[in-house]
Amino acid sequence: MKDTLLLTSCLALMAGMAQAGDGILTVATIGEPPTLDAMQTPTDIVLTIGQHIFETLFTYDAAWRSVPLLAAAMPEVSEDGLTVRIPLREGVKFHDGSDFDSADVVASLERWMAVNSKGKQVAEVVESLTADGPNAVVFKLKSRYSPLLATISQAAVILPSEKVADELTEFVGTGPYALKERKPDQYTQLVRFDGYQSPEGEISNYAGKREAVAGEIRFVPVPDANTRVEGLIAGQFDYADSLPVSAYERVKSSDTATPVIFENTGWVSMNMNMKEGLLTNKDLRHAVQLALNPQDMMLAAFGSEEFFSVDASLFPEGYPWHTEAGVARYGTGDPEGAAKLLESAGYDGTPLRILTSRQYEFHYKIAEVAKAYLEAAGFKTDLQVVDWATLTQRRGDPAQWDIFITHSNFPGDPSTINTITDSYPGWYVSDQKTQAVDAYLAATSDAEKVAAWQAIQTVIYDDAPLFKVGNFNAVSGISKSVGGYEPTYWPHFWNVTPKE
Amino acid sequence: MNRVIRAFLRRLMGMIVVLLIVATLVFIIVRVTPGDPAAVMLGSDATPEDIAQLREKMGLNAPLIVQYGQFMAGLLRGDLGQSIFLDQSVGQALLSRAEPTFFLTLFSILIATVIALPVGILSAVRRGSGFDQLVVTVTMVAASVPSFWLGLILIQVFAVQLGWFPASGYGGPDTPFLYRLTHLVLPAVTLGIVNSALITRFTRAAMLDVLGDDYVRTARAKGASERRVVLKHAFRNAMVPIITVIGLSVAMLVAGAVVTETVFGLPGVGNLVVSAVLRRDYPVIQGALLVVAAIYVLINFIVDMLYVAADPRVRI
Repeated sequence: MKDTLLLTSCLALMAGMAQAGDGILTVATIGEPPTLDAMQTPTDIVLTIGQHIFETLFTYDAAWRSVPLLAAAMPEVSEDGLTVRIPLREGVKFHDGSDFDSADVVASLERWMAVNSKGKQVAEVVESLTADGPNAVVFKLKSRYSPLLATISQAAVILPSEKVADELTEFVGTGPYALKERKPDQYTQLVRFDGYQSPEGEISNYAGKREAVAGEIRFVPVPDANTRVEGLIAGQFDYADSLPVSAYERVKSSDTATPVIFENTGWVSMNMNMKEGLLTNKDLRHAVQLALNPQDMMLAAFGSEEFFSVDASLFPEGYPWHTEAGVARYGTGDPEGAAKLLESAGYDGTPLRILTSRQYEFHYKIAEVAKAYLEAAGFKTDLQVVDWATLTQRRGDPAQWDIFITHSNFPGDPSTINTITDSYPGWYVSDQKTQAVDAYLAATSDAEKVAAWQAIQTVIYDDAPLFKVGNFNAVSGISKSVGGYEPTYWPHFWNVTPKE
Repeated sequence: MNRVIRAFLRRLMGMIVVLLIVATLVFIIVRVTPGDPAAVMLGSDATPEDIAQLREKMGLNAPLIVQYGQFMAGLLRGDLGQSIFLDQSVGQALLSRAEPTFFLTLFSILIATVIALPVGILSAVRRGSGFDQLVVTVTMVAASVPSFWLGLILIQVFAVQLGWFPASGYGGPDTPFLYRLTHLVLPAVTLGIVNSALITRFTRAAMLDVLGDDYVRTARAKGASERRVVLKHAFRNAMVPIITVIGLSVAMLVAGAVVTETVFGLPGVGNLVVSAVLRRDYPVIQGALLVVAAIYVLINFIVDMLYVAADPRVRI
């Protein structure tokens, strides 16, 4: 870990000295993006590639605060919190040479509120979104909405108004790189945008100065993880994403590449069905939580403590939302205690249907250990292993499952975690949750938001819509000849110097 | 001549019927398989309402009979449909994957036959010798080796340690054609070795069958050289089963050397089918499987024609 930190620091220093050149960065990704339309499909692979092409009004700094990107400054918020005026940067151009202005922002955010899951949530509280001259936009809200900035910091990308359409056919943004060619399953080729206007400021996560040092970035889909490892070591790739933890030592001992660990990449959860079936009974949900041993589950999934941490807080240390508030039934696993809960809840032996997929091997391993602990507590289990496409369909039908396993990243705003959404599979609807979330949405200061979030986490532990298993780290690898790379959740390659 | 044309037309009609059945079966199988392209498209944050909306937009909520009618009408026009994910038509998607798959098939089968035919013939001629026993053992091992494992070993030796060939992919936007072909060396050797084992064993068995026949003994008694006996008299008569196994190998390679293409990150037909299945890209699955079935049927037809050339006793 120290090696990684030292390397990262050295590379960050080198970034300041980087000179734009014609070098090419070849990035091996886990597969082909289904589209480049980040608004409609905000999956990790789409956002990873898309962030080089498109920009949002705000982005996340190292503390996951929203800071200006295409916005000129933080917004001006009226005293009642219902009017939010966002000033825009001037002199910014799109890749097609057109000027960026408020009409583009209005058109883009209207599309985002129509097609994006999070955007649709925002649309419910937005009364109007209008241009205030060419260099500002104004949100009028129906009620206070504290996650507004955090929500528009992700996937709410700004396109030229004339390119905004139901189906995007041209991918034009303001980012440091422009799309040159996409050959599905072969490569996505981005080239430096010479007219790029970088935001100012110190580099911090996605915020701060951005420079297209490499002349070109090629994202190459390499679905086989072992091939990504060998291609990186052979020098064919400059960066290889999502490597198996078993490859860590091999990359570390190579002469050409070094492993990169990004801590607290995401968290694994077992989401419970509160709408239909066995787990509509709260005592049984508590029994599930009590029975499980997160340490054993994460160890089986990730192999070594270097790659995971067990933490009851829904957000890891380092986030302002990290708190122990309300934590209960999380720790070493207590099948005997869970058995007593089963008895008092009158469990009738109906099998608990656990839906998981081997597309993410760690989901499956976690499911296997969970099954053993739940059976030790007295549950009958029915482990259903399907492919990911089947899982995403089945989980939409409350009649087909009791628990499904998934993983998520840590969003910039805690109120945007999926579980909180009433309609997300699991259908967590509760009066005390609604009250706690409403208090959060109405918060006007950071201190109020933190206190409100603590109340939300307390309610979540009481209602038990999920079992948080643990946090995991991502392993990737980078060529030793490449400089200036800073690990981020969605790996980015501006400010990165390719090999000569 | 008329007889040949009639036979040809009969086979052609048979092929069309087979393809219609395949098209219908693929359509049904794809639709009854769980999974939803709209859910894949929207990612894990999507709510059931979002997914339902997109399904409607994609036309996936139309009655199955309507979707089937549209699919078949498209086929009659030669239109395989539009990919849900690739921003291109199924025809374009298949065409862009044809080059690596075609050359991979060609090189693999060349490597396999260049190894298999002489080794199989020699092994049969020297039946029971040390060489024969070695061939039997090695081919048994080679036929059992998983192609993904062999592929990874070749990558480690020839891409990582020696740096002779690329580990993965099919070149970048400005890669010249000949350099692109170097990306096929390791996968072609992988498939060539695996297929050569099968063809060697068939060649050996077919040769053993004919080497004991009367006409071979007669040829030897008439003083023909051993080379002439083996190559002209025995091998020619052993060719029918050998052509069959080579034809089957070619058909399977065209259908997609799925595992090998995945290990080597080759953007070929096999890779296209796998990613389409994982994403539930219905038009691509349907179109690709139909084209693959057509090629399979065509290759079988060509193999039948080759039987006639190899053995005039065979009638079509």
